[in-house]
Amino acid sequence: MSTESIFVEQLSKTYKVPEREGGFGAAVRSFFKRKYKDVNAVQKVSFRIEPGEIVGFLGPNGAGKTTTLKMLSGLLHPTGGKANVLGFTPWELKPDYLRSMTLVMGQRNRLSWDIPAADSFLLNQAIYRLPDNEYKKTYKELDELLELEPLMKKPVRNLSLGERMKCEIAAGLLHRPKVLFLDEPTIGLDITGQARIREFLREYNRRTGATILLTSHYMADVTALCERIIIIHHGNLKYDGGINDLSRRIAPFKLIGIRLSEADSHDLSGYGSEVQNEEDAEKRYIRVRADEVTRVTSRLLADLPIHDITIADPPIEDVIERAFNE
Amino acid sequence: MLKIFKRLWQVNWAEQWQYRANLLMYLLYWLVSPIIYLAVWTSIAASKGDVNGLTANDFVTYYMTLLIVDQITSNITLHIFAYKVQDGSLSSELIRPIHPMLTNTLVNNIAFKALSIMGLIPIWIVLFFLFQPNFSSVTWQGIALAIPAMMLGFIIAFLISASVTSVAFWTTRVYSISEFYFALFLLFSGQFVPLTLMPPIIQSIARYLPFQFSLYYPIQLILGKLSPGQIIEGYIVALIWLPISYFLFNWVWREGVKRYSAVGA
Repeated sequence: MSTESIFVEQLSKTYKVPEREGGFGAAVRSFFKRKYKDVNAVQKVSFRIEPGEIVGFLGPNGAGKTTTLKMLSGLLHPTGGKANVLGFTPWELKPDYLRSMTLVMGQRNRLSWDIPAADSFLLNQAIYRLPDNEYKKTYKELDELLELEPLMKKPVRNLSLGERMKCEIAAGLLHRPKVLFLDEPTIGLDITGQARIREFLREYNRRTGATILLTSHYMADVTALCERIIIIHHGNLKYDGGINDLSRRIAPFKLIGIRLSEADSHDLSGYGSEVQNEEDAEKRYIRVRADEVTRVTSRLLADLPIHDITIADPPIEDVIERAFNE
Repeated sequence: MLKIFKRLWQVNWAEQWQYRANLLMYLLYWLVSPIIYLAVWTSIAASKGDVNGLTANDFVTYYMTLLIVDQITSNITLHIFAYKVQDGSLSSELIRPIHPMLTNTLVNNIAFKALSIMGLIPIWIVLFFLFQPNFSSVTWQGIALAIPAMMLGFIIAFLISASVTSVAFWTTRVYSISEFYFALFLLFSGQFVPLTLMPPIIQSIARYLPFQFSLYYPIQLILGKLSPGQIIEGYIVALIWLPISYFLFNWVWREGVKRYSAVGA
């Protein structure tokens, strides 16, 4: 028996996708002879996760993150490779395995929309065979952390996005799973909502020692929760290690943002490479090596009519993007 | 396990009530064809005296019994399950430690049934006064014999429908194969006409097929039209089909889930 919680070796998934060109002729031809294209969603990915770890699973859209989570939770059969979670092969869908893990994906999951969440919770209690006292204890804890009580009696369809997500996560944790697969657990939530879910996950991990593998587009989720990240791109594993090492290894850069009080015609190329930022057109951004930030900043302040200046870490998406390109 | 079914029932029953208007429309649609057959055959038999020995009252009692038996033995698995494979909403059920088809979908069917039978009652009473059937051939023994037959009929039809629906794992769209299944059902179940009016070749095939247990066999049991030999043969054939349909479903399901693509988030 291995000691790790999650063990993945050479895991691969290839989708066969029917393909044809547009138009009537192509439609007729494809009726008789379908062409398929192989899409390698996940290619020979291997990693191990120890019990109690919180690992961020990152990559751009279409990188294969969700496909991997679906295989690890047992929804998808892989095309090749092995996986073992808590001693089980996930896609055998053994009830004992399903009782000890959870997968939280998106907004529509474990709760029925037409009835109050309380009813879905009671259904889960029965499905996971939770004794009353145990169920009540877990519910109380979840309620403490997520403030569920006021939401429980309303039909789920009448809850706001954030309220629904809280209920979804709680519903996924009633059975106190030892392994959590979370796909974008904070998507669509406002800043407070995100922070609350993060705090909750950290607390859950601390109290129960559960292993958590999560994907997120919000870097704050990842930096707040994960010491370790795994990056995949085009289905290949690109990085597996500490989150601090990543920026040091791949992007030892900072972004200096400046707003000039005069017309923006100054040439900034002498300070560092200028980067485009479409979200904030009023500012101009310069990428500077981390160890040169102080020097470049003082030069900028001395040389230019600066109205406003910020120094920030590059967004993790950029860091990751650079990781892929280098 | 009982507790799971109880809670599933509560959830499904509450959900059904949310859609009761929709359900009523569905019920009306469902009743149209048997009522048409009832009206057509009754008037033919009335004008000619009988059709192959079946009188107008035989037709009225047959179809009015059919309305009830159909509600008890039929299932709507295709409508409540196939889309879950297509849009990926099955995912959340697959990762629960209970069988999605043999628990939730089964209970969902029963909740639908319970509500649709309630809707049928007033319609049935109206038809009763309209056609004034003579049910004198019905006995308590007949009904007692028909109850287990209807349960067998429901379970067998549910398992076969579940197998047909599970083809969605391969083809995504299952409506054409299910149309084929319903055509066979129409022909061999006794829905279209009592099987005794079918050509002999159809009758001798229907004897060994599972479709008759949904309608013809329990109807004839209730109406007291079967000889002891026919009753025994029917039960034997049903008890053979029970494990066959179970193994068929299990196999299709096991192979199908491997192909599930869990689309959507």
